[in-house]
Amino acid sequence: MKELFPIKQVMGFVFSLILTAVALLVYFVDMSFTAGMTILLVTAFVQAGLQLVVFMHAGETEDKAAIYSNVYFGILVALVTIFGTLLIFVWDM
Amino acid sequence: MKIDHSLPLEYSTEENRLKIFGFWIFLGAEIMLFATLFTSYFVYENRSGNGPTGAEIFELSPVLMETILLLASSFTIGLGIHAMRLGKQKAMMSFFAVTLVLGLGFLGFEIFEFTTYIHEGAGLSTSGFTSMLLTTLGTHGLHVTLGFFWGLFIILQVKKRGLTPETANKSFIFSLYWHFLDVVWIFIFSFIYLKGMM
Repeated sequence: MKELFPIKQVMGFVFSLILTAVALLVYFVDMSFTAGMTILLVTAFVQAGLQLVVFMHAGETEDKAAIYSNVYFGILVALVTIFGTLLIFVWDM
Repeated sequence: MKIDHSLPLEYSTEENRLKIFGFWIFLGAEIMLFATLFTSYFVYENRSGNGPTGAEIFELSPVLMETILLLASSFTIGLGIHAMRLGKQKAMMSFFAVTLVLGLGFLGFEIFEFTTYIHEGAGLSTSGFTSMLLTTLGTHGLHVTLGFFWGLFIILQVKKRGLTPETANKSFIFSLYWHFLDVVWIFIFSFIYLKGMM
């Protein structure tokens, strides 16, 4: 039975629950918008990275470099799209 | 077909390896798809017109339940893949089944949430905000629904054919898809719900 629950994945799950709890602070604790967004950005990206490395085995094979470049490219396009649009449409710059 | 026994079953042939890599490229495209949805959501976030705002309609408890269900399902499918690599077909199928049940629970809460929104006058055409909110959540929910049926057929096929390089490869690719849905949900949870209720 024990071999079915590898410590790495159990810890990954516990850690993602902790990160969710930390993110909940922005709801329960009164804080500035900047502080709240900083917490959310950190917890969300750490948690996403956790999934990628611990659960999705992204770095396991010889395709590691190609898989990571592909993911980074996706994230780059995502960030440019989101922040580029915010810059023009919302922040009026 | 050349089978390399030093690697886990799902990687054991070149075709299998390439299929997994190909699926990662698809996930890269999915990242960009959800990025465009988030972009539109952020632009329309405060354009709620005469309709309700996020702070008015968001409720923590169903959202938190959805988050925990999806996180747990991502964990169980990871255990399923681990069991698959140990060659334990029964344990793998049980973990996959638990994953799908958790996924159904998630969908149940999301459907409940959607009906509440509609009831509170936040329909698809109420305002820019509700329109983009429901489109973004709906696209994710549709992915989960699709994943549920995909996973169901995978379990049936593994039951019928056993663990072969082919079925192991399909199961692994499905697990990637499921983990990815959890990643997208983390961002929805943080930047739509928590940000909206802050």
